[in-house]
Amino acid sequence: MEEKEFDLEQMEKETEEMLRINMLTPENAKFTRTAGGFVSLETGGEKYPRVQVVRMFPFTDPGHFISIRTTEERSKEIGIIEDMSSLDADTRKMLEEQLNLRYFTPVITKIINVKDEYGYAYFDVMTDRGECRFTIHMGGSDVVHLTETRIIISDLDENRFEIPDVTKLSATERKKIDLFL
Amino acid sequence: MILKNELPAGILSALGLTTNDEIYYSVPYDITASGLYQKDAWLVVTKDRLVAYENGAVKKEYDICGLLDVKSENGVSCGVLYVVPKVTGEAEVVVRFSAHHLARFAYVARGCRLLISGSDERVKSEEYEKICPKCGRALPGTRECPHCAKKQKGLSSEIIDLARPYKLQFAGILVLMLLSSLVTILHPEVQKYLVDNILTDPNGTFGAAGLCLILMFAISMASAVINVLKNYSCSKLGTIVSTDLRQKLYGKIQTLSLSFIDERKPGDLMNRVLRDTMRVSDFMAGPFCNLFTVLIILISVVVYMLVLDWKLALLSFVFIPVSIGIAVFFRHNIHRRFHMQRKKEDKINSNLRDVLSGMSVVKSYGKEYDESVRFNEAADSYALTQRRNETFFAILFPIMQFLMGVGVYMITFFGGKSILHGEKTIGELMQFVSYTTMMYSYFGWLSNLPRHLMNLVTSVERISDVMNQEPRIADSAKAVKHRVQGDVEFKDVTFGYKTYEPVLEHVDLKVRQGEMIGLVGASGTGKSTMINLIMHLYDVNDGEILIDGINIKDIKTADYHSQIGVVLQETFLFSGTILNNIKFAKRDATVEEVIRAAKMANAHDFILKTPDGYNTYVGEKGHNLSGGERQRIAIARAILNDPRILILDEATASLDTESEYLIQTALQRLTDGKTTFAIAHRLSTLKNADRLVVIDGHRIAEVGTHNELMEKKGIYYGLVTAQLEMQGTKTDDTEARDA
Ligand SMILES: Nc1ncnc2c1ncn2[C@@H]1O[C@H](COP(=O)(O)OP(=O)(O)O)[C@@H](O)[C@H]1O
Ligand SMILES: [Mg+2]
Repeated sequence: MEEKEFDLEQMEKETEEMLRINMLTPENAKFTRTAGGFVSLETGGEKYPRVQVVRMFPFTDPGHFISIRTTEERSKEIGIIEDMSSLDADTRKMLEEQLNLRYFTPVITKIINVKDEYGYAYFDVMTDRGECRFTIHMGGSDVVHLTETRIIISDLDENRFEIPDVTKLSATERKKIDLFL
Repeated sequence: MILKNELPAGILSALGLTTNDEIYYSVPYDITASGLYQKDAWLVVTKDRLVAYENGAVKKEYDICGLLDVKSENGVSCGVLYVVPKVTGEAEVVVRFSAHHLARFAYVARGCRLLISGSDERVKSEEYEKICPKCGRALPGTRECPHCAKKQKGLSSEIIDLARPYKLQFAGILVLMLLSSLVTILHPEVQKYLVDNILTDPNGTFGAAGLCLILMFAISMASAVINVLKNYSCSKLGTIVSTDLRQKLYGKIQTLSLSFIDERKPGDLMNRVLRDTMRVSDFMAGPFCNLFTVLIILISVVVYMLVLDWKLALLSFVFIPVSIGIAVFFRHNIHRRFHMQRKKEDKINSNLRDVLSGMSVVKSYGKEYDESVRFNEAADSYALTQRRNETFFAILFPIMQFLMGVGVYMITFFGGKSILHGEKTIGELMQFVSYTTMMYSYFGWLSNLPRHLMNLVTSVERISDVMNQEPRIADSAKAVKHRVQGDVEFKDVTFGYKTYEPVLEHVDLKVRQGEMIGLVGASGTGKSTMINLIMHLYDVNDGEILIDGINIKDIKTADYHSQIGVVLQETFLFSGTILNNIKFAKRDATVEEVIRAAKMANAHDFILKTPDGYNTYVGEKGHNLSGGERQRIAIARAILNDPRILILDEATASLDTESEYLIQTALQRLTDGKTTFAIAHRLSTLKNADRLVVIDGHRIAEVGTHNELMEKKGIYYGLVTAQLEMQGTKTDDTEARDA
């Protein structure tokens, strides 16, 4: 059957596409800001009116290996930016805005108060995004250690907060979160 | 979840509602465009407009009729709401919000899309808030906040309602409590008499002293007996109450719709049935049991002390805050330390579980040494915490006891002085000291009470949250019994497990009695969902489903279910014998019927291969059977009571091709005249279907016979050719699976 063969080719092409790693560089990709606050991309003769900007290693290497993806539900990778700093200033700013739009992990700069009551802990903290109160479950695994000193706290709504280095906190602040370390 | 909040007056006036414009949704958002936290920011959706306010001023405004689309997009711990205006056709960011509002905005976005489509329907959310909007405390998975509910009439009457059926037992316990406090107070009184009127009195006789001692002994005995009786009755009543609750809860949960159960984490409902009822009985056996005794004793002791010597009494009261303070401090520390110790223990446990269950991986990568290093670290850290805690107790406990005693030393000192001055007798002082000790320990105990009460209140709240739930798929008053013929019709049906995320949209399908319908589509497109709706496990959000022309809501559910047979994707067997599992749908089935059903499901022969035949015990979920064997039993169960509608959701997926073929042909005979819905991954299984229904993109994409759809060269054609390809290039591995 002829159709069958054609289909096989199609499948193979898709597999090929799935496996290909396509590096985006200033030479082969042109990003533009859209009026609505997103970013569009022209690359390889194709134009994408809006792309998603996704970190591959959000914790360990947020500035490298940025995946540029299509926006539909089953999103596909258009290409990878290996190093954000290799981009020109304007493009970098544009993409950083998109990352900022997608990732929201306030960094805790000061622990004002922690109260535990009936299985929940109520945090009152200062972050780099402003003051914030949030609530976590005491029993669960809401505090994750990325390294010995770096922790991520997830609250009931799955908001995330980062403490980049617990040893940098003051002694009184450490005592307040002792229970979770 | 609240989608329409009270707006500040300033915004309301700035909004300037016209007479035929009204607010549909008003929700706060908490992040600025540049990603900083902010307050006083609101998104308001009226019938005609979508407006964002920041700091009391309009930041963005759109006319609903000028929009193509409104979407809420999830990021990582945050989200954006964007619109697509008709003029530009380009997505445009409106507001940003943290994860706290993700679900809320998903609902609102769906609501906006409805408004754009011209519908004036409002999206409602049955999801609960996670944080109490009033007091800011976390809600323990309930609609009402246990803290705030306290102030309303609800909860105390809830607790009284709970207690009402056991009036007599409560009265009995109350009497025992009174008696218990009486003998406790009496003991120091007799002791005083012994010391003052007999021992230190020159006229005191040995006989009188003996009598007194016997009396004291009798009081102690009585106290012991009364307390045993009291504790026994309290625990017994606690057990009775919690068992009753457990049964009521279980009965209630069975009447609730699946969506209520789906919305809760697995284990949450189990916890309510088991743990929360246990908490109620624990409260009865512990705090409640002593509560009134302690209160009565405390009051009488305080009064008595004041009467005996008010100066000394006031002095001893000074130390009450100290004793309470120590009790609270100690408890807080214990709690903290045990919490830490438990956390470390959990870590070791999960570490161990990981390695043991993944042993083959650990070994095959040669990582035994690394793993034991990791384990040793965890174990050391646990040991350290444990040692610290033990040192803590060893040091702190005696200190605490000493501090608690300080009040008593003071009393002894001043009381001793007044004895020397002849103002007081030795017996009186001894009595006074006894009462003081009693008072301190009971105040310490009382300081524990708020926590116990809160535990009780939370549990009662979680229990009554289920008890007060309306069964969502309750039979309506006009629901009738109906002998099902087999016509099934979907009329413009829209459904989603969460209303903001429709799985099926505007589905129309008319199935005649006796037809076999094959449902086809990629996984996750909503095939099983369609079947859930036919089974009336969920109510549709919009449109209706008709069975023989009658709305499915107007048919008695239990009666309806007894006429449909179902084999689901996940076969579930109860622990019990094969016979009982097959007879689940029809308890009074004859042996002959069971055998016929088993034969038709191609199960008879393998059942007889087991030593115990039909009496073979299958464990929980049928662990000792293979997937294919379980499915065949499930098929037998489904066809046993000769259902009018037969539903097969990937019913033969775990079978080898030969058994599948055998069952298919058997079923063919069975399904004659019965409406059948079948889902199968192996499309060849569905070749005999009268019609195939292809679901894609939330809708029915194609309908027709196998040949028709093959000719159409659409989605179905693509799926079939892809499968043929796979079979051509890969050897069939399904036989191996059924081993
Ligand atoms: N109980 C549930 N609660 C919430 N979402 C569900 C539930 N069951 C299925 N879904 C979602 O509905 C969609 C359709 O699922 P389903 O009908 O099971 O697909 P399939 O076509 O594979 O049988 C999926 O996106 C799935 O995640
Ligand atoms: Mg399914």
